Amino acid sequence: MLLHLLVFAPFVAAILMVLNSKEDFRSATRMAILFAVAFLGLSIALVAGGNIATTPVEWFWIPGCKGPTYYYLYSHGLGAWMVFLSCGLSLVALVSARGLLGMNYRNFAIGIFALMGAMNGTFLAADAVLFFFFFEAMVIPAAVLIASFGGEKRKEAAMTFAIYTLVGSAPMMVALWYLLTIADNSLLLSIALAVQGLPEATQLTLLVCFLLAFIVKTPIFPFHGWQAITYSEAPAPLSAILTGAMSKAGVFGFIAWVLPVFPFNMTEISTMVWLGLASAIYGALMALRARDGKKLLAFSSMSHLGIAVAGVFSLSEAMLPAVLVLLVAHGISAGVQYFLIGVAERMTGTRNIDEMGGLAHKAPAFSFLFGAAGVMALAVPGTAGFVGEFTVLLSLWDLSPFCAGIMGFSMILSAAYVLRFIQKVIFGEAKHECKEGVKVSGLEGVAYGAMLVLLLTFGFHPAFVTDSLHLHDAPATAEQTEESAVADEVVEEEVEEEEEGEVEPLESHIVTSSDIAKLDSSLIQAGFSEEERKELIKQVIETEANIARSTTLALEKQAREETQVRGVEDKDYEINDAEMEGHPATDAAPVNEKEASND
Amino acid sequence: MTNIPLWLIPLFPLLGTIILASIAVASSPNKKGAPEGIVGAIAVLLPAMSFVCVAALASTMPDSGIRETLCNWIDIPLLKVDIGFLFDGLSRIMLLFVTGIGTLIALYSIGYMHGDRGFARFFAYINLFLFSMIVLVLSDNLMLTFLGWEGVGLCSYLLIGFWNKDLKNCKAANKAFIVNRVGDIGFLLGMLCLITIGGAGALNYDLLNQFIQMLIAGGHVELVLPMLSLAAALFFVGCTGKSAQIPLLTWLPDAMAGPTPVSALIHAATMVTSGVYLVARLSNMFVLCPDVLNLILVVGAFTAFWAAFAGLFQNDIKKVLAYSTISQLGYMFMAAGVSAFDASIFHVFTHAFFKASLFLGAGAVIHALAGEQDMRRMGGMIKKTPVTACVMIFAFLAIVGFPGFAGFWSKDLILERIFTNCNWVFTGTWLADGAVPMNKIFYVTGLFTAVITAVYMGRLIIMTFFGEYRGDKETESHIHEAPAVMLIPMVVLTFGSIFAGYLWAESIGITFFADSLAPVLGAAQAFDPARMFNPDMMLEEFIPRVTTHVNPMLFAALGTIAALFGMFVAWKGWGKAHIPSVKGASTAPEGYAKGWTFMWDYVHMFFIKAVLIVAWICDVVVDKVLQAFQWTISAIVSIVGDGATVFQVRKVRLQLTLSLFGVALLVLVVLLTGGLV
Amino acid sequence: MELQPIFIQLLALALFAIGILVAISRRNLFFVLMGIELALNAVNLSFVGFAKTLPDTMSVAGQIIPLFSIAIAAAEACVGFAMVIYIFRNRESIDADTYSDMRG
Repeated sequence: MLLHLLVFAPFVAAILMVLNSKEDFRSATRMAILFAVAFLGLSIALVAGGNIATTPVEWFWIPGCKGPTYYYLYSHGLGAWMVFLSCGLSLVALVSARGLLGMNYRNFAIGIFALMGAMNGTFLAADAVLFFFFFEAMVIPAAVLIASFGGEKRKEAAMTFAIYTLVGSAPMMVALWYLLTIADNSLLLSIALAVQGLPEATQLTLLVCFLLAFIVKTPIFPFHGWQAITYSEAPAPLSAILTGAMSKAGVFGFIAWVLPVFPFNMTEISTMVWLGLASAIYGALMALRARDGKKLLAFSSMSHLGIAVAGVFSLSEAMLPAVLVLLVAHGISAGVQYFLIGVAERMTGTRNIDEMGGLAHKAPAFSFLFGAAGVMALAVPGTAGFVGEFTVLLSLWDLSPFCAGIMGFSMILSAAYVLRFIQKVIFGEAKHECKEGVKVSGLEGVAYGAMLVLLLTFGFHPAFVTDSLHLHDAPATAEQTEESAVADEVVEEEVEEEEEGEVEPLESHIVTSSDIAKLDSSLIQAGFSEEERKELIKQVIETEANIARSTTLALEKQAREETQVRGVEDKDYEINDAEMEGHPATDAAPVNEKEASND
Repeated sequence: MTNIPLWLIPLFPLLGTIILASIAVASSPNKKGAPEGIVGAIAVLLPAMSFVCVAALASTMPDSGIRETLCNWIDIPLLKVDIGFLFDGLSRIMLLFVTGIGTLIALYSIGYMHGDRGFARFFAYINLFLFSMIVLVLSDNLMLTFLGWEGVGLCSYLLIGFWNKDLKNCKAANKAFIVNRVGDIGFLLGMLCLITIGGAGALNYDLLNQFIQMLIAGGHVELVLPMLSLAAALFFVGCTGKSAQIPLLTWLPDAMAGPTPVSALIHAATMVTSGVYLVARLSNMFVLCPDVLNLILVVGAFTAFWAAFAGLFQNDIKKVLAYSTISQLGYMFMAAGVSAFDASIFHVFTHAFFKASLFLGAGAVIHALAGEQDMRRMGGMIKKTPVTACVMIFAFLAIVGFPGFAGFWSKDLILERIFTNCNWVFTGTWLADGAVPMNKIFYVTGLFTAVITAVYMGRLIIMTFFGEYRGDKETESHIHEAPAVMLIPMVVLTFGSIFAGYLWAESIGITFFADSLAPVLGAAQAFDPARMFNPDMMLEEFIPRVTTHVNPMLFAALGTIAALFGMFVAWKGWGKAHIPSVKGASTAPEGYAKGWTFMWDYVHMFFIKAVLIVAWICDVVVDKVLQAFQWTISAIVSIVGDGATVFQVRKVRLQLTLSLFGVALLVLVVLLTGGLV
Repeated sequence: MELQPIFIQLLALALFAIGILVAISRRNLFFVLMGIELALNAVNLSFVGFAKTLPDTMSVAGQIIPLFSIAIAAAEACVGFAMVIYIFRNRESIDADTYSDMRG
């Protein structure tokens, strides 16, 4: 029921908004915000409630296909959080547009609700056709909103946005249709099965078609042409939704619809990682030169999402929680930055950051929020951005330290452009007079403040986000507690170490030989007797096999990489299962498989 | 043992931050700003309470330290980090002076910042800084240390750019943050290296030490040495950023744009020494990587020497002190490079006192002269501001290493350790005698740097306090001694800079300081790379540590002579009013001095320019090409579309007719061929 | 004479032809619409004719579809006439040949 509500109620809300009188925008405002609060509540319930699914209902048969298309929604951690972003940002967007659009507020709210419904559908669809339907449907309300509420070049921006993204996903439509003709039905599992049976060349073609759609949506270099103009011309609240929630559809697609379906080889993976890193660097460099504040944010968004995509294709164990935290953090922080640059725009009447400045003295409360948002976008530890970026860095390091180095470079660049941005907007001498009556209103300030608090909360307790992925299900947690219990004791581990094998070689290793370490340290202090040391070495030689295994990481890592490539198939099913947890039977399966695939 | 939970220590400044930030935001609309009395009281009392907690814990701490795990922070596959605190000998000393000096400087700031519009904001930042710094030194794992590490960097950014109306300050702040970011990436990658070799557990200091001891015991150091050395080197990159060592040091002189108490607290006493703290904290790891230690030694020596010279050329009183700080940090890293970690921490400790006094004194001078920082416009201040002058002269005696003062004990200790501990022998086939023992070279460098230190500090004191007043006659009448709220902390710190050295005065038999650090650093100090557990591992370029005892009095005498000689040179050079005349408002050095001072800025400029050129290429070339490509496609489509409209017939009826014929034709084809396909 | 199915179909064909002819040849929009209406009804007639002559099991559709199409024709006529009136207001003419600006 929750899922149905989240997908369809926004459309109903959009229709109900029509009932509002056009003249009385106050009532429209009240109604819209009430609706949006309700949706936010629903999305929180969804996030808190864990994985749920609706019963599949046959929707229609596509001519020429073997099986039916279902109306089937399900929610897993990733989708639920994306829904949370879309609902939350829509609420703040409605709050921040309050009282500014006058008579048009009603229409704006209608558009936002339609967009929200489509986004929720995208993130919750379990059926490929349903997903594609919503994925395309998102574009239309967004484009209409840009065309009617945007800046000077809004028509051009709306056309560019709509055509670019629709054309980008056209190949996916063809590929999807082809897959449906050979798959049993349009659910993820059967599509994945269908792909396995295809020849490699066909697989590659289909993969490219799918990737293209998501690359354009994210966007990833070199298919980012639509982004800067769209984000800068769209009204600021809409830009916030576009970058905070809609662009996540691209990354979401990679995780939920590309990785489980297609088998990857190393070339494809590294190509995607490099594309992601290229857009990270490219976006950062472009942001460094941007004069238009919103364009700067657009490129910064591109940079962060590039990092996210690189993280996705690092395919390490930590990938899923890492990317999820990064996406949530980026959604909130980029969103709040867009809202705030919108406020700055309406205070100074320009988007050019060279012409801004001095807001720190004119509007201290705004500047506090702006500075705090900027700093949080920098991934300072303690904010969610840091957890996301560090864990993604960890995933990339697992793939190759060089990639991690490049990502580190993009983090340095991000400091450069964000600080330049902050300096130009709020510091220095004022170049424009503040217009009266357009400062941050109380409600708006509270909304932005709440977003910042959320970032801090997730930064200090990312478990709120990562727990929804159910990474530590029963077997895994048992293992964890075992480890921590072991920390003090000594003897039993010798046995256990062998049992545990390679699952977590090093961690267990440190712990298990703590007695040796203790002995040794006491010996050092006693003064290094030769005999005793010999004895010690003898002791350690007994466990040498284990130690050697744990310390020659270079070799092992290579091996792991190989298994990763070979194990991609297994891994895909694993993700598959994790996402299909609507079926209770598969609940415990992923963890077991994870262990298996590690060996 | 007291039952104070450790988390209480960072909690107080955090509370202070929250309260003061709320006051700052709430009072922003009204014209007068928040009442200074209340704000000042909160800002001083909360850090003071932290100090009390630390003092109570410090007096009753068991030798093994106190450990406390608060809760889980990050828990995902590959990475499991807890929020936990570790209070041992090392963090005890750091915490004592961080909270103590922090409180004193907060008190001083009440006087210094009096009447500033951002009074509450300033103290919110100061409290946030103290919180971050406490977390940095109190945490029990690297991740949490990194939280403090970036937190102090952030506060440094906020406080350098505190007077943000002037874009110059903002640029200095940006520079500080970005340069530090480069170092921070090193820190992050270093953590990743450790995770690679030891799992996420290796981020915890205790577990890391256990892991390392196990490696040593098992004789498996060779296997991980490349990765471990990489980790150590990357951590050191982080330290060069935070502690302003070559090559990431350019931000510190610029950071003097911030209010002077900030320079005293952050850019002299506490934050910049966190790099030294990190090296000491990871000493067990660093001693395994002799190559990295040598790197630290070389970098430290170069930095100390270069910055001392640069300090000689500055006209701005705060810039002299900034370069002096860099130089002293170089000393500390030299000590760390010869694995004398306790000596480096001791110098951190004494340096905190005398450098803070110097900065506060300089702040009082600047305050008295209504913002004048150019030493060429000062002079003769000893008559007008005797207390300040005394404070600075005592601190000056401490920093040059005059016998009996704090700097004497710590600096001579470092020089002694460099001579005795450094067992690095430079070998090269092209060398005549085959091997050069590096300890003498570095000792001489250190001693020579001590001479220059005495010269530039003497120059500062002489130009500021002696001779005739050289500024405007109008301002001369306004010169006044600082208020008591500023003088009290200065005097307290001066006592520290005189007597702090007696905590470890080896020549008179006091080793209290070394003893209190021994449980933490002892194992690492005792570790001799040349006698690595495994005789086969003997590294060629090392000789076993010098065991012959050199008379410590000799070192003391040499150090004293260096200080006296330097002071003599300074008196000769500037005592007789050889003051360069002032041209224009700029205090920047000129000519060869400029080249020397900004040497590393030029190096940085090269990288910045490179990035900007690439960005320009991206913006002007790549992006335009991509856009051209995109618009070409759309142009082709629209041209084709225009062409297709030709087929569109204008008349409605004709259209209808044509479409009917079309239908008929289709039907005909279907009928004749039996289907289209 | 027995009613042959072919007669009905022939009649329907004739009506359809007349309808189309009217739609194409008249310039007055009302006549165009009436022609289309006639053609539509011819198709209905054809359906009903088939319903009558085909076996019962298959004839249901033939009776239902005309009902639909009558309803739709009514709606279409409404919209169509409304549009004609609207156009007339704008152009002061209901001559189909004056509407020649349909080129994108």
